[in-house]
Amino acid sequence: MSDKVSPVEALPPASREWGEIGPASGNPRWGMVVDQERCIGCWSCCVICKSENDVPLGMWWNRIDTVGDALDTPRRVQGELEMHWLPLACQHCENPSCTKVCPVQATYSREDGVVMQDSQRCIGCRFCLVACPYGVRVFNWGKPDRPTDFDTGMVAPRPIGTMEKCTFCVHRLADGQIPSCVWSCPAQARIFGDLNDPDSRVSRLIRERGGEQLLEERGTDPRVFYLPPRRKRGLET
Amino acid sequence: MNTVASPATSAEPRAGARALHLWIALLAAGLALGLGAWVYQLMHGLAATNMRNPMMWGLYITLFMYFVGLSAGGLIVASAGRLFGATRLKPIVRIAVLEATVAVMIAALLLLPDIGRPDRVWHLLRYAHVTSPLIWDLTIVTIYFAISASYVWVYTRADLARRGSPLALGTGTSLVDARRDERLKGLLAAVGLPAAILLHSITAWIFGLQISRGFWYSALMAPMFIVSALVSGTGLMILLALIVRRTGRVSFKDDLAAYLGGMLAVFVAVEGFLVFSEVLTAAYPGASFEADPVRRLLTGPYAGFFWFEVVVGLVVPFVLLAPRRLRANVRWVAVASALTVVGILIHRVNIVLNGLSYATVPYPPGVSIGTVQPLGTTSFALSYFYHPSAIEYLVAGGVICFGALVFTIAALKLPLKEGGSDLAADAVSRRDRLAS
Repeated sequence: MSDKVSPVEALPPASREWGEIGPASGNPRWGMVVDQERCIGCWSCCVICKSENDVPLGMWWNRIDTVGDALDTPRRVQGELEMHWLPLACQHCENPSCTKVCPVQATYSREDGVVMQDSQRCIGCRFCLVACPYGVRVFNWGKPDRPTDFDTGMVAPRPIGTMEKCTFCVHRLADGQIPSCVWSCPAQARIFGDLNDPDSRVSRLIRERGGEQLLEERGTDPRVFYLPPRRKRGLET
Repeated sequence: MNTVASPATSAEPRAGARALHLWIALLAAGLALGLGAWVYQLMHGLAATNMRNPMMWGLYITLFMYFVGLSAGGLIVASAGRLFGATRLKPIVRIAVLEATVAVMIAALLLLPDIGRPDRVWHLLRYAHVTSPLIWDLTIVTIYFAISASYVWVYTRADLARRGSPLALGTGTSLVDARRDERLKGLLAAVGLPAAILLHSITAWIFGLQISRGFWYSALMAPMFIVSALVSGTGLMILLALIVRRTGRVSFKDDLAAYLGGMLAVFVAVEGFLVFSEVLTAAYPGASFEADPVRRLLTGPYAGFFWFEVVVGLVVPFVLLAPRRLRANVRWVAVASALTVVGILIHRVNIVLNGLSYATVPYPPGVSIGTVQPLGTTSFALSYFYHPSAIEYLVAGGVICFGALVFTIAALKLPLKEGGSDLAADAVSRRDRLAS
């Protein structure tokens, strides 16, 4: 899937320069680091994801959960208030539970580890949606609802009755460009790179800051790592 | 005993015939409505259902596993009767295997409206992925359907041949044919029982192998599916046998119902034990992955379903069936059977609802619902209250009506009454015919 509809040359030079993945090993395993200390919960990454990938209204490939019980509301930890966010999209697991259960191999891991979804093969049984522990897959339940009467994305829209999800913006990876959620983050809370290269920024951050995987105990081995906030900002209660 | 084939019950009472016509007309109407609803759903996509991303499977899958379970009674009774010598089950074997065939057919058909792209079902053959429990299940459902259909044929074949029916596929009524029947019955029993066990286990593994769902991820899933299938399958078989007996198309004594009722009591007891063991194991450590779903099961928005399952589906039938004096009364056996059939349906509902209806990452705003929501509401959900839409009820009802129609017509046309295929009787009747 993800038939690209616009060439990389169409992007302004400044955008291309800012979006370069940079040096990677010859055999990259793409991964992402999300710095929860930097994330301000603004949903910019979620919005640009929708326009980049032409995700219809009511569907989101990317969302920002608030850690706690209520949206954008602090929670009390050891008598102090604290608030941080959990930006959540496909975790591109090393051991994905979705690809195993797909009856037609419409979802599969690419050579570089990106978990893909083939909309032309998918039969819409939604077994992958059941199997995913992160709730990040979205199904085309009806005819897509769009704010415009033309397609807006950089990739082809998906047909009704099939599954879709975050692709790490494979159409951008092909041109050496980072996913657009990483590109657009105003707090630079998202970092993208090669996990196979021990000197890449993602590898270093995971090592130095103690990157954590979401629901690590399930053994899915995500390639998205979260950097937990180091300091507690004590707000007076 | 004269067992020469008589043209089946042509002298049915008129009131019975009228009731039958009304019944068939009702089923046909249900089927037509269901087809109409399915066309509507095909036009609008699965948005016509109330399923959404936070509750991605609903009525169709629930009924799929329910009907897989209902098919258990037939084959297990037929095979076990043969393998372990429970000969008293003989009068109802034919109706039991017919029930199994129709139930598994209904189950398979229910998957068609559930998938988003019915036009791509052939992908299941073209791109079959061996690690998917869905592929395992479709394989065993196909095998199981073939076995049950063969069973129906082998058990009715001799009588069909006697009638000169083309359904006998050119086989005759000689002693050689009868001997081959016995061999085939033995063979079918030998493959039928393992196939039935596999069918229920694999259907359980669709759910039980998912690490994403604490309520499902349990090694007890397969044993529980086998036992709940035995409960509902036996319950339905007793009911159908009693109903068809009233039309005079099968005959057996009340003590057979009592015998089956005793079996059902044992199955219900084991099911109750497994449910208790499962809930206790999940709740005791108090770890949220497993304990949260159990808390929802016992006290959440769907808790009424669970307590209904326990009281109406397990406790009451057991009380009605366990004492010998009560189950000697056919009426109590019928009531208890009906309750187990409903109870296991609710058990299936509980499995799907409690497994799926909450976000696995428990932080707000939760999972993207997937369709545009009314202004002023959120398009995300942490937990999602699901109830089937009218379209889902109509489509599922249509499939069930179709199954009931097939069953009714088969029960009318096929020789269900035991007696003609008996080897000794066969030989006697042939000698009589030769002598005359």
